[in-house]
Amino acid sequence: MSRIALLAALIYVIILAGIGSLNGSVLTLALPLAVYLLAGLWRGPESLNLSAERTISSERVTPGEVITVSVKVANHGSSLAQVSLYDPLPDFLEVVEGSNARLVKLPANESLSWSYTLRGRRGHHKFNGLNILADDGFGLVLKRKFLPTSGQLLVLPSVARVRRIAIQPRQTRVYSGVIPAHQGGAGIEFFGLRAYQPGDSPHRINWRASARQDGALYTNEYEQERVADVGIVLDGRSRINNFSDKSSIFDDSVLAAVAVSSALLAEGNRVGLLVYGDRARWTSPGYGKRQRERIMHNLAIARTGESQNFKSLFIPRRMFPTNSQIILISPLHADDLPILTQLRMSGYPLMVISPDPVSFEARKLGERAAVRLAARIARLEREIVLRRLRGFGIQVINWDTSMPFEQVARASLSRPASFLRATRSESGVHA
Amino acid sequence: MTRNATLASILAGTTALVIGLAIQEYIIPAIGTGALGLVWVTAYNCKIFRAAAPAFALFVFISAAGIWGSVSAWLALACVIFSLIAWDLTVFIQQLQLTNEISDRKKLERTHFIQLALVIGISLLGVFSGTLIRLNLTFGGAALLAMLGIWGISALVYRLRRHEDEVDS
Repeated sequence: MSRIALLAALIYVIILAGIGSLNGSVLTLALPLAVYLLAGLWRGPESLNLSAERTISSERVTPGEVITVSVKVANHGSSLAQVSLYDPLPDFLEVVEGSNARLVKLPANESLSWSYTLRGRRGHHKFNGLNILADDGFGLVLKRKFLPTSGQLLVLPSVARVRRIAIQPRQTRVYSGVIPAHQGGAGIEFFGLRAYQPGDSPHRINWRASARQDGALYTNEYEQERVADVGIVLDGRSRINNFSDKSSIFDDSVLAAVAVSSALLAEGNRVGLLVYGDRARWTSPGYGKRQRERIMHNLAIARTGESQNFKSLFIPRRMFPTNSQIILISPLHADDLPILTQLRMSGYPLMVISPDPVSFEARKLGERAAVRLAARIARLEREIVLRRLRGFGIQVINWDTSMPFEQVARASLSRPASFLRATRSESGVHA
Repeated sequence: MTRNATLASILAGTTALVIGLAIQEYIIPAIGTGALGLVWVTAYNCKIFRAAAPAFALFVFISAAGIWGSVSAWLALACVIFSLIAWDLTVFIQQLQLTNEISDRKKLERTHFIQLALVIGISLLGVFSGTLIRLNLTFGGAALLAMLGIWGISALVYRLRRHEDEVDS
């Protein structure tokens, strides 16, 4: 029941009771209520003729950086007794100082300016406008308006600095880079010998091998190093990223995606990104700093979605030909095994960076015997999935998110998987 | 300040009506009214602001019934005025919660109290004028005046509701 309706009903009842009882004193009770109603009509806003402007100190910021938002509202119409101004903000932004809401009196042809500071986590927000609610001062007559304003804010994801991600796709592109191309030519690493051809540099003649052969000269060949096509698939399915206590491991996956894409782009590779949340969202492959910016932008706005499995995961061959490197960043689920093995069998070298959801959730649940037991069982189940993936020739990095990603990348991604396996078996360490 | 004024209004309205009822030896209704006042205060302290509207309506009904039962009209009027103030301030305090700015808050509180004082002052002036003017009306004349009053209030409500919650695009 609105306030006006309540007041009107009370006034009617009092008048009827006064007439019915022929008692003038009862009628006097209606007078304060009637005057209150009249005051509402007198002070009520007729129409809202307002405009708003907004300035933001910086439109691209890192997580935790403080941004100042200044808003100016001008009243071009009649005086407003009481106006509530509210600047809606998304969940990932928090007000540090000041307020995003004001309740003020706004006289005719006057303006009001105010500022507040924000900081936030990863995300993108478009400031569409202000919600205005004007009333008569007694809250009887309300008038709403939405004042459009411009401005947007992009909070970029956190960056982990990783120097090198060692990948060995079977197919590379023609441009020189740092990925071994399995072909002889100009390079650093020794690849093999071939018969000397006129024009070969004398420095490259392998004299020791030539001395063993009568009259024939042999030239050293080095492994060509080129750039490669890399597709990064970021798994954003809610059911495996989000937990019952509303915590999420997705931000760790995003951090890994930023680090991996930045390192690969810095080495000159052609990198594309697929965020697999509510639907597959591609950032088409590209090179260099501009591509890094595009990927950072798309990672900033990446959200988890309701996709249940990887059934609709499709790698377009025109973007990533067979034998291109695919890097999946996912907490993983046992149901994902078939599609990942299928992807591997269709010729894609697959690397899986898997933030460990078991350790993540166990840390949140605390040190209890039941939690320890449950975590142990879940860890064993996960280990079976990871082993089966490794059995299919998929490189799997199990990342306990309590450790910095840089450290994990240095230990497991800085050298080719075959080199790491060899050094571990030599030192008696089992992967 | 608004919070204290609200609590003071609830207590003043309750006390006025309880005294009026007690003088006329309506002991059980007086206890009931006192209890209702305490419930309102408790609900307010627990931030159950929705309780304000039914409590206000009940106080107005009890005041009107009290006059019919020979309770002092001035005490009943005091109860209605204080209940109206408490109800109004409850809504106002909800609006104040929208802002954290102290400067806004103080200015608005001052303006609101002045407006409310004007409304109450005009009402009391009307009531005092009413006591000076004496009219002898027949039942038909009184009924006609009542109909005119109802029509006037209806027109006012219609006008207010036409603007109520209107969205400007």
